[in-house]
Amino acid sequence: MGRSRNCTLDNYLGQILILGRANSCSIGPLPTGSHKAIWGDPTSDRLLFCLTYFGVLMVDPILALTAFTTVVVFLVVLFWPRHGLASRIGRLLRMTERVRMEDALKHLFDGEYTGKTCSVESLAGALEMSRARAARLVNQLEAMELIHSDGRGLPLTNAGREYALRLLRTHRLWERYLADRTNVKPLDWHDQAERQEHALAPAETEELAARIGHPLYDPHGDPIPTATGEMPPQSGVPLTALTPGQSGAVVHLEDEPREVFQKILDAGLVPLMRVQVIDMTPETIRFTADGETLELEPVAATNVTVVPLPHGEVGDGPFDNLTSLRSGESATVVQIAPTCQGLHRRRLLDLGFVPGTLVTAELEGTLRDPVAYRVRGALIALRKQQAEWIYIDRSDLAVQS
Amino acid sequence: MAASVSSACDGCSVGRAASLVQLGVQLDRWDFLVALAGNPNTGKSTVFNALTGLRQHTGNWPGKTVARAEGGYRHAGKRIKLIDLPGTYSLNAGSADEEVARDFILFGRPDVTVVVVDATRLERNLNLANQILEITDRVVICLNLMDEAKRRGIGVDVVKLSQLLGVPVVPTVARRGEGIPELLDAIHGLAAGDIKPSPYRIDRYSPELEVAVQRLSRGIETVFAELSNSRWVALRLLAGDGSITTAVRTGEIGTLRENGTQHPGSNASVPFRVSDRSRSDELLALAEELRWTLNPDFEDSLTESSYATAQSVAQASTLRGLRRTGFDLDRSLDRMLTSRWLGFPIMLVILSAVFWLTIAGANIPSGAIAALLLDMGHPALKGLAAGIGMPWWVSGILIDGVYLATAWVVAVMLPPMAIFFPLFTLLEDFGYLPRVAFNLDKLFQKAGAHGKQALTMCMGFGCNAAGVVSARVIDSPRERLIAIITNNFSLCNGRWPTQILIASIFIGALAPAHIAGLVSAAAVVSVAVTGIGAMLLASWALSRTVLRGEATTFSLELPPYRPPRILRTLYTSLIDRTGIVLWRAIMFAAPAGAVIWLLANLHVGALSIAELMISWLHPFGLLLGLNGVILLAYVVAIPANEIVIPTVLMLTVLTLKLGGVGAGSGVMFELESTSATSDLLRAGGWTLLTGINLMLFSLLHNPCSTTLYTIYRETRSAKWTTLSAALPLVMGFTVCFLIAQIWRIAAGW
Repeated sequence: MGRSRNCTLDNYLGQILILGRANSCSIGPLPTGSHKAIWGDPTSDRLLFCLTYFGVLMVDPILALTAFTTVVVFLVVLFWPRHGLASRIGRLLRMTERVRMEDALKHLFDGEYTGKTCSVESLAGALEMSRARAARLVNQLEAMELIHSDGRGLPLTNAGREYALRLLRTHRLWERYLADRTNVKPLDWHDQAERQEHALAPAETEELAARIGHPLYDPHGDPIPTATGEMPPQSGVPLTALTPGQSGAVVHLEDEPREVFQKILDAGLVPLMRVQVIDMTPETIRFTADGETLELEPVAATNVTVVPLPHGEVGDGPFDNLTSLRSGESATVVQIAPTCQGLHRRRLLDLGFVPGTLVTAELEGTLRDPVAYRVRGALIALRKQQAEWIYIDRSDLAVQS
Repeated sequence: MAASVSSACDGCSVGRAASLVQLGVQLDRWDFLVALAGNPNTGKSTVFNALTGLRQHTGNWPGKTVARAEGGYRHAGKRIKLIDLPGTYSLNAGSADEEVARDFILFGRPDVTVVVVDATRLERNLNLANQILEITDRVVICLNLMDEAKRRGIGVDVVKLSQLLGVPVVPTVARRGEGIPELLDAIHGLAAGDIKPSPYRIDRYSPELEVAVQRLSRGIETVFAELSNSRWVALRLLAGDGSITTAVRTGEIGTLRENGTQHPGSNASVPFRVSDRSRSDELLALAEELRWTLNPDFEDSLTESSYATAQSVAQASTLRGLRRTGFDLDRSLDRMLTSRWLGFPIMLVILSAVFWLTIAGANIPSGAIAALLLDMGHPALKGLAAGIGMPWWVSGILIDGVYLATAWVVAVMLPPMAIFFPLFTLLEDFGYLPRVAFNLDKLFQKAGAHGKQALTMCMGFGCNAAGVVSARVIDSPRERLIAIITNNFSLCNGRWPTQILIASIFIGALAPAHIAGLVSAAAVVSVAVTGIGAMLLASWALSRTVLRGEATTFSLELPPYRPPRILRTLYTSLIDRTGIVLWRAIMFAAPAGAVIWLLANLHVGALSIAELMISWLHPFGLLLGLNGVILLAYVVAIPANEIVIPTVLMLTVLTLKLGGVGAGSGVMFELESTSATSDLLRAGGWTLLTGINLMLFSLLHNPCSTTLYTIYRETRSAKWTTLSAALPLVMGFTVCFLIAQIWRIAAGW
């Protein structure tokens, strides 16, 4: 081992491991000390020194980078949210016979609730399946005595209605849960609830209800069926049914189809908001909501359900919000924006931003966001988004300052 | 009003103060159970310490990562157990803190609940007091910070306030012990039943709500006749409160009546009959029916009426026309510390000073401990072992392995932590840290995180495990998880020595000798800054992917500046932070020392296990621009980053089979001079690339096992713990890999 060797490294382009040709590696004078054999076998001995100390066991960097890129691309294709292979396969696996049946029941119940007649064709359309397959599904449901076809439509039996109400309860409870306790975007509520309604057992549903305080309405404004299957009848008319000048309170926002719901969300509408129609053309309907002027295409506006208000009663606003306060200025809180819901709303109220409270902007901060406000004696920092939710009245400013 | 308040004469208060015996943690049985509630920043913990002394039992509430402190005292012949509830703004059970506080006041059945109220912010604090008075009668209001109120020209008519609220109100300056004897008397009076409270209850609700509450509370009173707070129970049922609904269904609510003598576990509750069961089900059905008649947002109006009541009570009992006796420093201090131009420079100066004090101050004690435990203690122990004829392998495992690893961790870890944590806690107590969070929030907001993450990050520079625990200051669940998972990107004090050594060997050596030190310091700082960048990047990515759906709410109160309490700070930061973290580190380092020694001394054929593992890991190490020795060192040194370099040196000597260097196989060591270390590493085949990549890998790798364990304790989730380990490791592998390949292409490999 003590002999001196010259180290000339062969250029093994394109080879990942060069173990097999390690004999061609020769080793130069080792820097310090005497070295004992590590491997008993002289070939491996030389090998380990080559490998360990002179970096021979190396991969061509270009090849390594190529392999790395391939792996990254592969992982992206596999795990990309919504469109990746993994999530597609997951969706296919979840689409069992039971899920199809439950979806069919929901479709039929929806028809009954809104007064539309359902048929095998409408079912095939709603569930995206062939007519023959939908017919088979109807036969199955009939055999299970969940529906009884009488030639006109597909009416549910009592058992079928109860089943559908249970599904609806889970669906809407889950949406409420997502809205109140998580940060899941409104656009994703429906899809996640669609999955959970098939997954939760009745006991789990009740546990969920208890945990989120037995809510009565889902975040779209729809009533949640009670555990005993009761639900008030639907009220209200589409936004398009109002006449110009008339006001209404939003009670429901339809979350399907996704694209239309996106438009409604973009417009900033939420349940309990008050709207007033300005004018209507075949292309667009203009209205005010909380003082702001909004526009929607009729196709989106029909998915907004409102309860008309008596003539003369109008929406509130427009309001200033906290961000308009300059440092040192004060104003009183009028309300927290209806768009601020769930935990955000709870927290702002608990911090003391309740209607009638005097608020003073006190510190702008190094980066001007957040801003610290003096409210009921404490100095509370709010981010811009939170400050925008707090509507204020500056009219009695003179008194305050 | 039966509440007799501060009627006691001053003369006897001395005698009573003398009768207070602070029991600290020695409390296995008690006569009365007292809960301490209050808003955040009201001096609640000062009151707690004034009653129980500095020592306290700290831990978590069962099933929650909410800190729980218990203490005790003896007063007027009774032993009293005091439970510190988390500081909250309300009892709406919207956060874990609020849920813990609410459930304890309701189901923990304290004999007395002391509500600590900040006299300078009466209106805000009375909101919480009102909510507690809704639940329980036996409340004492501790009107704290009277000195601050006086300075600000705020006067409170204590008698009036007590009349309005219907419970005793005791003015205190807990920091100086003023009013504590009166507080003790009031607690005792209530607990023993001498004082009969008649608490104020909110009675102004909207007509539709009032109708529903009356119908339901009448029903409740017929089923549970002894309940004194039936209106509150009715309101909670109407709000769909899960735990109250359950308590009504099971009949537990009926056993919560307050007859003044109950203790947890000691009451023989009346059995709940089956006929009662059906009646309580009827009640719940009635509640369900009434709920549909209410406005969907009626809960908002509850908060409004609670605040409205607080406002009117506060106005009625505030004395006007007083003069400020002190200069208001807060506002001018705030204007300076958060100003556009001075905010950041001041912050940098203060934080640099803290770090400099830590590093400079820790050198001497660290050296002394190392000299004592490593240079003297280790040979002495070996000699002793040889003297008593201990078999070589026993002394190897115990002394070379367990003892050495533990001693190393203590020497490197203890002094910086013992300096850093108290300094940091002083800044926290003073009120400066919330301003840092305020100044930096926008930056963290863009990364989807909370401004307070800046604080947990700073704490992480001391120790990641402590940083993870400190993430409790973030009350929004998502941002707290982000802070926990990314804390490891703060270069902790166990990794600084590695950085400094490698930087001076490989990077400082590139520069001319007179600026070598500066260059290597710059290299270390840029690694730390890279860490901050990686933390922001990881936070951003997490908040947009796996943590997208987690709940988030932002709130940040900027509390008034207060002089820090030195003694308490020393106690909490030394015992609670340093002590616990160090203990955990030792528990993990000790077995690791044994493992390291065994790896180097157990042989399979001609090779030790360590050599075998190195030869397996080596190809992978080379791919990353590192080597097998480094990877094995990081595998076995998971318990503590402090022992990475000693392990690397020991393993290098082991594989090179060098004689005359080091202290024998399996015995970790460090060399006196940097140049000797440099020679050894270069002999092991290390290059500039190895040095750079080791510095990066030391930053970007899995947290040490102490931190991982702490993450598991804080999140109670194997999923998030795994993610915290995998995320930096994958980042480290990727970065080192890419640098190695690009380096080799550039160098024409």
